[in-house]
Amino acid sequence: MAGEVTETDFASLVSELAADPNRRHELIKLLREDNELYNQRGAATTTRMRGWVLHNLSLTGLTDDALIFVLEELDTGTDPYLVAAAARALRGYTRPTPALAPFVMRALTHIRYRNEPVSFESYGEYGDGDDDTTPVQELLITLRWLGAYAQPVLSELEQLRARPERLSRTLLASIDEAIEAIASEESVDNYSCCSLPLGLKDRFSWTSNSRRSCEPVESVIFEDHNNDLITFRDFFQGQPSIVVFFYTRCDNPLKCSLSITKLARIQDSLLEHGLADKINTAAITYDPEFDLPERIRGYGQNRGLQLNSGHRMLRTRDGIDSIRKHFRLGVNFIESLVNRHRVEVYILDSNGKIASVFERIHWNEQQVVERAIEILHEESGNNSQASNKRNAAASTMGTLASLAIAFFPKCPICWAAYLSVFGIAGLDRIPYAPWLQPVLALIMLINLGSVWLRSRATHRMLSFYFAVGGVAVILISKLSHGWEKFAICGVLLTLAGSVLSALGTSKKRQPGQETRTSLFFDLLRRDGFTRTNDRTTKTAA
Amino acid sequence: MTTRLKATKKSKAKGAKPRSTRAAMSVATSDKETVKARVAAMAEVPLAVCESDKDLQSMLSVLRDQAQPIEVRLAALQSLQAATFSVVAFESCRSDYIATLRKVATDPDLEMRQRVLGILAREKDGFAQRKLLDGLENPDKALVPPEKALQLLSYDIHAEAYPVARKIVNNPPNEDAKLEALRLLAADAKSAPVFEKLLRDKNEAAEIRQVSAAALQGLKPEKLQENAREILLDDSDYDEIKATSLTALTQFGDKDQVDKDAALKKHVNRISTKGGAKVKRTARQFISKYGR
Amino acid sequence: MNVELQINNTINSQARFLSWAPSSCRIRVTNPSGAITPTVTIRLSSTSAATGGAVVFRNGTTGAFSNTLTLTVPINGTSVPFFVAGKFGRPSSSNADVRIDARLGTLLVGSVKVMVRIRKNANDLTPAERDRLISAFAQLNNQGAGRFADFRDMHTNVTSPQAHGAPGFLPWHRAYLLDLERELQNIDPTVALPYWRFDQASPSIFTLDFFGVSNSVGTVQFSPTNPLQFWRTDGVPGINRRPFFATNTAPPGLRTEAQTLALGNAYPAFRTLEGNPHGSAHTSFGGFISSIGTAARDPLFFLLHCNVDRLWAKWQRQFGRFNPAVAASFDGAANPVGHNLTDTMWPWNGITTPPRPPTAPGGSLAASPCVSAPGPQPRVSQSLDYQGTVNAVSRLGFDYDDVPFS
Repeated sequence: MAGEVTETDFASLVSELAADPNRRHELIKLLREDNELYNQRGAATTTRMRGWVLHNLSLTGLTDDALIFVLEELDTGTDPYLVAAAARALRGYTRPTPALAPFVMRALTHIRYRNEPVSFESYGEYGDGDDDTTPVQELLITLRWLGAYAQPVLSELEQLRARPERLSRTLLASIDEAIEAIASEESVDNYSCCSLPLGLKDRFSWTSNSRRSCEPVESVIFEDHNNDLITFRDFFQGQPSIVVFFYTRCDNPLKCSLSITKLARIQDSLLEHGLADKINTAAITYDPEFDLPERIRGYGQNRGLQLNSGHRMLRTRDGIDSIRKHFRLGVNFIESLVNRHRVEVYILDSNGKIASVFERIHWNEQQVVERAIEILHEESGNNSQASNKRNAAASTMGTLASLAIAFFPKCPICWAAYLSVFGIAGLDRIPYAPWLQPVLALIMLINLGSVWLRSRATHRMLSFYFAVGGVAVILISKLSHGWEKFAICGVLLTLAGSVLSALGTSKKRQPGQETRTSLFFDLLRRDGFTRTNDRTTKTAA
Repeated sequence: MTTRLKATKKSKAKGAKPRSTRAAMSVATSDKETVKARVAAMAEVPLAVCESDKDLQSMLSVLRDQAQPIEVRLAALQSLQAATFSVVAFESCRSDYIATLRKVATDPDLEMRQRVLGILAREKDGFAQRKLLDGLENPDKALVPPEKALQLLSYDIHAEAYPVARKIVNNPPNEDAKLEALRLLAADAKSAPVFEKLLRDKNEAAEIRQVSAAALQGLKPEKLQENAREILLDDSDYDEIKATSLTALTQFGDKDQVDKDAALKKHVNRISTKGGAKVKRTARQFISKYGR
Repeated sequence: MNVELQINNTINSQARFLSWAPSSCRIRVTNPSGAITPTVTIRLSSTSAATGGAVVFRNGTTGAFSNTLTLTVPINGTSVPFFVAGKFGRPSSSNADVRIDARLGTLLVGSVKVMVRIRKNANDLTPAERDRLISAFAQLNNQGAGRFADFRDMHTNVTSPQAHGAPGFLPWHRAYLLDLERELQNIDPTVALPYWRFDQASPSIFTLDFFGVSNSVGTVQFSPTNPLQFWRTDGVPGINRRPFFATNTAPPGLRTEAQTLALGNAYPAFRTLEGNPHGSAHTSFGGFISSIGTAARDPLFFLLHCNVDRLWAKWQRQFGRFNPAVAASFDGAANPVGHNLTDTMWPWNGITTPPRPPTAPGGSLAASPCVSAPGPQPRVSQSLDYQGTVNAVSRLGFDYDDVPFS
């Protein structure tokens, strides 16, 4: 618990880990919000602790695994100490790429009016003098470090420079240095697959398979924005859902307020796609004791959320701990108040299981919608696959039945001869059963019917024609004297029809198959260098 | 000196154009001017500090300088703080300003410390929070009185002040401290039972019961409604808390529930003519909303 | 014979509110019984309650106002336009305290009650006006769960570049106050936002029954009858406000009204009032109102800014600065986004891409049943012609008790 570990102890731990090359990777665990060390710490304390870890990462070098935490801070951070630490940490990364520049520039935009001195001389020190640095300074140094890789943001930086009256002389000099560094280096390709920051793999840190051992949450009871009660099972099972976590007292407008605003845009998008009744949305509060229904309703409606039975704002009546564990929420608390949380949005499948997660870096609404639609379609496809499997089983049985019919002996003597030919021990004990032939015939007809239905569904009648042909040949061969040897042709035709029918579906992409490449393209699209989140119907400034 | 005083008087004449900020700045930062003149000049220069790094540094220097008259230093602080409202123009100044505030947070003058820590606390500054918490936990390190420290810590509901606030509620150094501790605890949903208990305790001061009502209204509105009703029906309870209860029910009560509560309405009707002035007034407001 | 009077061109009773700027109205015969000619002569006049407002009339968009107006009205139901305005110096003190009468000879053939709803000096409000205002504020706040949270979120450290330190400071705050006032009027249509005249002593504002009395710590205390005792923002009940002056006096060091109006006759000079008296008024206190990120947590903030806006309105009248096309009316240099005449203003424009803030709380600017301007997504330029002096359609529907219609 937090109370047993002082901040001094924490700082010592961080130093110890940073100094040991074999244990440095453990620093990343200290950046997870739900780390027990942050429990019952205030937000300012949490900031000091996290900032110190980031600072140490700047000294040890930033690994791929840690990169996501740094980018997160640049993307949505509003605390000067953390942003400065993140800017420094980024410079410890060995492979700068153009994709990092928008994060740095975004952080600069957010923090410039909250610039203040920060110090990394020792743990917990606050800047109060000339020897300190500032987050703006650190960000500009990082842009200089990026050099040519920061060319995508050069024009923005030049715009900043164009209003010199707002900037101190020191900062003007830093901006000039950054601009010079960016402009003077040779251009690099805007994007190169080989320069992807691999650290983004934490973006999809785990897949649904790893959640099997989680505490079940189906019976957790929620109260929604209208004071109605509903269980997790009743709301989240039946169709896919997009779930955002938030709380009304979040004081970072880049996190909860923005997440709920974006959820409203997701709802608009689902409406446009005609899927608002096929994909649910939900916003669950981290702070159920304070966030009473009236409060969450106002919060959501003031941000444009549409609320109805399929789109709700929820607080747990009990079971918040179960929900936390189930989702492995990135959050921690001081008393009942959140002290820090990450941005996180989940897509649940129609069984209420987590199918996708977007965390830390702010997600693009369209990307989330597309993924949810994929899941919806995959489930429809899986249903088809299940029926395909049934069809395949029926086809196999039908084929075997056809085979059996074709070679079924006409009399008990032939039965014995068959069995002796095969010489299968024990098979000669199978008694001749005259009822077997009509049963096999029935199975064969059932197979034919199945192939017909499947052909209609897939509009591929060829498999049916083969099967009909096969049955016809078998029947003729059995009923007509001298045509026995054609029975095998009938079997082969039936087999061909069954196989064609079973293969009549198209393949779909499996869950979790997003590549880092596609993720990164999504990021680039969000920033890219387009940087557009706005509602397109509004008047531009 | 005489010439400068005459000039100052002229500039204050009704409708006269204010002197230039350069002139005002010069007076404000000059040790040779009177305190009164300097304080008046400080008030004229809020935006000037953003225009010139030299002017900014001069003002910050005055603020830091303990040898300067405290009135002048406080005026410099006020002027700088006024300039922060022009946030875009203040961009170049902010870092140095915050640095100076942190230095001055431990100033020998109590008023200076209170104002500076107040400014920092409103920015949710971790430095200020740590100083305030240290002071509450170790009174010999306290920079401001405990009630002020609690008030300033309440600017950030994510601060670690809850345990010390609870201690102070149970063992307050003074009533103001208890009040501020309660206001702070009103952000903690788990404190609702504390507020309910205080609200119903007739031995508590009126202000304590009033803040408890406000806190309970935010945390558990249905509990406040229930308690407000009981308070109103209790003839032995005090007028102030009855007036607060009536105000709560009139403004925020569950209309359907109150409308059906004939006993409550009848009682309010009675006290609208028989109660104290405050009760009568709020009872009339209640009646105008819910009827007799 | 009956006639129908449409105030603000509508029979909607929610639109029966006037200011000093003329409202476009109509009259028509709804029941011509007894009429023997195609038109009738109707005389408009008004009757005021004892402390009520008063109105004046005129025929068209120009010309003098008078206490009565005679109109020739067809009996076939065709509307005849006219204009009515509050008589300067005679604002209403309660709803419907002025009656407009229409007479055919001596016969009363139609009447409608209106209110001359004007922004007044908060120090001079009647107890009833005061109580209506604080009740509306408390309802809007709704112990932290109401729409007031949006207004609080519009004025934070993150959002402040949209509204401060550049020419859009005054237009933005005018729109902000208008939005809030209209939301208050949705709760109680008789409410108009009053102003705190900070260069004068205003002892009636800082009372237990109004905006509260600060204790020694700087926590504001309210009477048990005051609904503001339930005020809550950012999850915390109460208001922190510690005056650095005796509240039965004016704060020292603030530019007087005369000094402010003398800052200059062109906008770039005038808008330096942002520093003093505006910034100085804010920092005459400790507490919420003294820092930009927390200022809007204190409802006194809106009265402070109402006075800043009133000073602008007075300056506009003094120098004729209502027309955005006149260079001196604004600062036309290349300004940051949101501070140019043709820019729409955040948050009402809903734009959340940089350099705008990431969210836009509150949605569009509230509509009014009385006027159509400025529309849901106002531009900076639309804040200037608030009385409809240049273009009657631009009227925003508010006026100050000491700034007449130009």
